[in-house]
Amino acid sequence: MASLKRSVESDPLAANISNKIYVRSTKSGKVQKIVREVYLRRDIPCSSKLCRECQHQMLIPKDALGKRERFSYPLFHRLISSLTIVILAIPFVLSDSPAGTKVFPQGHYLVPDTNAFLTAMDLFEQESAFYDVIVLQIVLEELRNRSLPLYNRLISLTKSEDKRFYVFFNEFRLETHVPRLEGETVNDRNDRAVRRAVAWYGEHLARIKGKDAPSIVMLSNDRDNLKKAKQEGIHACSLADYVRQLKDGEKLLDMIPETQDRDQIKEKRPGDNLYPEYFSMSKMMTGVKSNFLHQGIFNVSPYNYLEGSIRVPAFPKALLILGRENINRAVDGDLVVVEVLPKDQWKEPSTQVIEEDAITKNENPDAEESDDFVSERERKALQEEVKRTHSKTTEGHAQPTAKVVGVIKRNWRQYVGHIDQSSVSQSAQQGRKQDSVFVIPMDKKIPKIRLRTRQVSELLGKRILVTIDAWDRSSRHPSGHFVRSLGELETKAAETEALLLEYDVQYRPFPKTVLDCLPKEGHDWRVPQSLEDPGWKDRQDLRDLLICSIDPIGCQDIDDALHSRPLPNGNFEVGVHIADVSHFVKPGNAMDAEASIRGTTVYLVDKRIDMLPMLLGTDLCSLKPYVERYAFSVIWEMTSDADIVGSRFTKSVIKSREAFSYEQAQLRVDDSSQQDELTTSIRTLLALSKKLKQKRLDAGALSLSSPEVKVQMESETSDPIDVKTKVHLDTMSLVEEFMLLANTSVARRIYEAFPQTAILRRHGAPPKTNFDELANQLKVKRGLDLSVESSRALADSLDRCVDEKEPFFNTLVRIMATRCMMSAEYFCSGTQAYPEFRHYGLASEIYTHFTSPIRRYADLMAHRQLAAAIEYEAIHPSTRSRGKLEAVCKNINVRHRNAQLAGRASIAYYVGQALRGKATEEDGFVMKIFSNGFVVLVPRFGIESLIRLRDLAETEPQAEFDAENYVLRVSGSREVRVELFQKVRVRVTDQKDETTGKRGVRMELVKTY
Amino acid sequence: MPLDTSTYGLALLRVDGRRWNELRRIHGQIRTQAAADGSSYLEMGHTKVMCVVTGPSEPGPRRGGAAGGASGGAGSGGQSKDAEVVVNIVIAGFSSVDRKRRGRGDKRTLEMQFTLSNTLAATLHTHLFPHSQINISLHVLSQDGSLLAALINAATLACVDAGIPMTDYVTACTAGSTSTYAANDEGADPLLDLNHQEEQELPGLTVATLGESDKVVALVCESRVQISRLEGMLAVGVDGCKQVREILDQVIKAQGRKMILEGTVDKGTGLNDMDLD
Repeated sequence: MASLKRSVESDPLAANISNKIYVRSTKSGKVQKIVREVYLRRDIPCSSKLCRECQHQMLIPKDALGKRERFSYPLFHRLISSLTIVILAIPFVLSDSPAGTKVFPQGHYLVPDTNAFLTAMDLFEQESAFYDVIVLQIVLEELRNRSLPLYNRLISLTKSEDKRFYVFFNEFRLETHVPRLEGETVNDRNDRAVRRAVAWYGEHLARIKGKDAPSIVMLSNDRDNLKKAKQEGIHACSLADYVRQLKDGEKLLDMIPETQDRDQIKEKRPGDNLYPEYFSMSKMMTGVKSNFLHQGIFNVSPYNYLEGSIRVPAFPKALLILGRENINRAVDGDLVVVEVLPKDQWKEPSTQVIEEDAITKNENPDAEESDDFVSERERKALQEEVKRTHSKTTEGHAQPTAKVVGVIKRNWRQYVGHIDQSSVSQSAQQGRKQDSVFVIPMDKKIPKIRLRTRQVSELLGKRILVTIDAWDRSSRHPSGHFVRSLGELETKAAETEALLLEYDVQYRPFPKTVLDCLPKEGHDWRVPQSLEDPGWKDRQDLRDLLICSIDPIGCQDIDDALHSRPLPNGNFEVGVHIADVSHFVKPGNAMDAEASIRGTTVYLVDKRIDMLPMLLGTDLCSLKPYVERYAFSVIWEMTSDADIVGSRFTKSVIKSREAFSYEQAQLRVDDSSQQDELTTSIRTLLALSKKLKQKRLDAGALSLSSPEVKVQMESETSDPIDVKTKVHLDTMSLVEEFMLLANTSVARRIYEAFPQTAILRRHGAPPKTNFDELANQLKVKRGLDLSVESSRALADSLDRCVDEKEPFFNTLVRIMATRCMMSAEYFCSGTQAYPEFRHYGLASEIYTHFTSPIRRYADLMAHRQLAAAIEYEAIHPSTRSRGKLEAVCKNINVRHRNAQLAGRASIAYYVGQALRGKATEEDGFVMKIFSNGFVVLVPRFGIESLIRLRDLAETEPQAEFDAENYVLRVSGSREVRVELFQKVRVRVTDQKDETTGKRGVRMELVKTY
Repeated sequence: MPLDTSTYGLALLRVDGRRWNELRRIHGQIRTQAAADGSSYLEMGHTKVMCVVTGPSEPGPRRGGAAGGASGGAGSGGQSKDAEVVVNIVIAGFSSVDRKRRGRGDKRTLEMQFTLSNTLAATLHTHLFPHSQINISLHVLSQDGSLLAALINAATLACVDAGIPMTDYVTACTAGSTSTYAANDEGADPLLDLNHQEEQELPGLTVATLGESDKVVALVCESRVQISRLEGMLAVGVDGCKQVREILDQVIKAQGRKMILEGTVDKGTGLNDMDLD
């Protein structure tokens, strides 16, 4: 009987086939051995424009097996020719005259190893250097395993035409393929593969160009690898050595991160480690699985940098993490694993404000091996805490505490900050010596970052961008490196850019590929005259309707317009017309991709960062008055009691009669002498909207509140001059009601058409425990009950929270209640059960966003789905692929949130600027109370600020804090009694915040009422 | 984890180093089991299958309920004028990475059995063997994508070995596309002969053709794919089938040559001009 065993060697093609064998472990902990075939070939070009050989070879793409003819088949001739072109169309990348340095005068190509990219991706993105880079496949693979964001950045570099990055598939090229040797580690093998590729490139180019060929330079920070490279006779440099050869090397040197020095400094003495070691990954995994460890996102308290919390499913309340040692190098946002501490160490959340700058002010960035890890002052601050908790009868107030035992995933990003003046030594301000300084991030939750730089004197007083590289056990603060400078502190440009970077807003101008997607006619684009035009297909002509838009003053991107008219049967026809953005932004093109990344338009006080190019946003899509525009209309028939008889959706062409501001519309409605048709129709809409609102409130919709102010700018210089609270007008709720109605109607329709993939918006009911504190505060201070069983009950009990003497009290409670809520989110209908669709705040069963497609991507998706639902056009695959939609939802949720935060931060900045140099006395309310301070909200400016005990008088007064009753009795140098919800008089001045470098407000207590 | 299929655009190379129109290494053997009427062993890359053919023979006593449930059968069986083709696929637990055991009633296996017996019943001259049964038993030893195609090819080889009259070779291979359905990339290239990783990430189809003609005898597509890409995929697949036919033909001829040299069979008169050295 013949044996089936076949010796691989006997196969004539064996030399061309190799195997890649590796072991991986699955999520469930299983270990799998993967064997993959690798087909080795000789037709992978070196991509150097110098190399004739490869260029010639690429003209006749050969088959891997070298024998068979290329695919040829007459019937599919069209296909072949197009594919041949594709192969030829890959242009050669590497320049024929690459830049040289002192050491490599004849020019050079760079071959970085994985570590070089991991540690210094910012360097490679520089415009002054790092051209003609060969990215090896093995490096790309390793990078992808280590960090997906860096991998994506590298991929976009390879796509940029001017950087000339070429991905060389060394693993597939016969000459550069390196099989792993017996007993060799994967890393050693990969390093060897890199060196092999470098050597091959050298030989290959030398064969063609002889001595003049550019040098191939390997960049690595691994000393072992560098040594071996020297032995093998190939050019190799460490990153730092290479950068020194460059012209502006000095500056770039700062961008090489800290960690690379680690090898040279050598491990410190073992006793010096300040932090406990992290558990191994497998230990954490098994721990989490068996439920004695817990995994979650680490959040730092905004008032106390030594207190963090983490929500885990196993506990109803968040776990507290107190003190530097327990926080163990976790940074806000990291995904960490924690171990719960024994019950006798459970504590109450801190009632004290602890700010990092106050306590660690005098630390020296250089003296890392300070004798004490937890500094004396920190210890004291914490001890006071403990004393307090122990002395009190803790009646179930204690919260479980935990300590961090490991970090699964860091959520480090680039941080905006400024150099702490006090950490700079005198010598550093003049010389060019490398020096350690602290950078204080703008985000208070992020710890100080230690930075080594040679340009201290230039960077002082600037907004700078830094990244964290590492946080060693032996180092109290994380170490990072400098990325770039944004400009002087407190200049408008620097502060705005800082804000946008902090909230990850994409603010760069639209690339050409996006602008290419715009209609060619530009601003001259018109709705086609002929009804035969394809643009008119299935579009209803609504040009004769009396449509108008009502928006804030100065609004340029008009998303929505309205109309109403009486019907012969006594009912009303009401229409909401939304800009037809989906007509201009086709799914899958570059503009769509860009919009989906941006997710939303961001409104800052002095600036708007658009989601779509200006041409569309403010002109072609915008429903401007007196011109014809494409629209997507929702039209209802309503009774005079605002009951809906029927609704329909249609693409349309409209001509808005007028663009009102809220104020203009309000004046027109109130002026009874105006009896024209347009005004009456607005009055009808207003009457209907009031009924709609009442229905919504009856159903349990919440009316929540957040302090809203508007910054008034001087029109010429756009400097802020005054701050106004927003006034609420009836016409605002008119528009709002109909938008809500349209959104709800559309949500129903697209869910009906696409039960699995409709894009919707939900607002989860907040967990009851969220309101515990507020309910208790109301009960203790005012004897009011807050019932939170349903949104209806909550709405009613909020209505009851009134203080006869103080009309603002109700708003204050609403503001505080709003902060206990969950945030609403976009989701894809297939991912949730129907009851979960509910929008808690609006008390609507189902809801989506449809009415602002110019400024929100979710609305654009809803438009596409609705268009498909009414069979206007075929649905595009990406609009119904659940995976894609989930990714889109995830992104736009983050973007939406960031946009809100950025907007608020912008207002806060300008409020600070508007108050600059002025001092006013205002009324405020105590919102939160600590044992050593309290937070006051000033409604007039919509700002809140902390007043510490030590701010009350010259010498810090004594205070007695009654946590049960939320009262702080101050005695000693100043006698005053502060309690929660109390109305106080404060003096508001501006002050440059040392911690964040931002100009902010400072409040002083004048008197209590 | 190594790179995924999204890097294709960087250098027009697939995850295993092939170009879009290249087959994997195919290795075939026939007459691997002396006791069987026909047998074969086939490797397409790391997909390895074994096939044993018994018959045409009288339907065994086991026929009826038991066989009908687990095996795919085509042709109307014992009582009819045509022979019944009964296909039985056993997928070894160790054949895939996760070592999951597939039971006899596994839906995917049943479906492959059904496809295979229908395809073969249409090509084998079953009308020559009334009241009889052809048993095709397939064992999957290792899986790395294009399983159905490998099974069809192995069955063809074994049927030739068993000397069952048939119209022509039935050869199969898979074809795919370089980007996913949702990505909707218009410049997507078609791909020939998908391996496991590509099969997981990309849309694909299995196509089987008859001999050197363009006649498609089986076409299975279980993934979503844009209709505009289908033509290209099919064209590449059909061309791949032709290449596979060449390879299978060489396997058969090599075996025939060997048998003549060994004297197992007489050299036919028609083979005089054949070069046996």
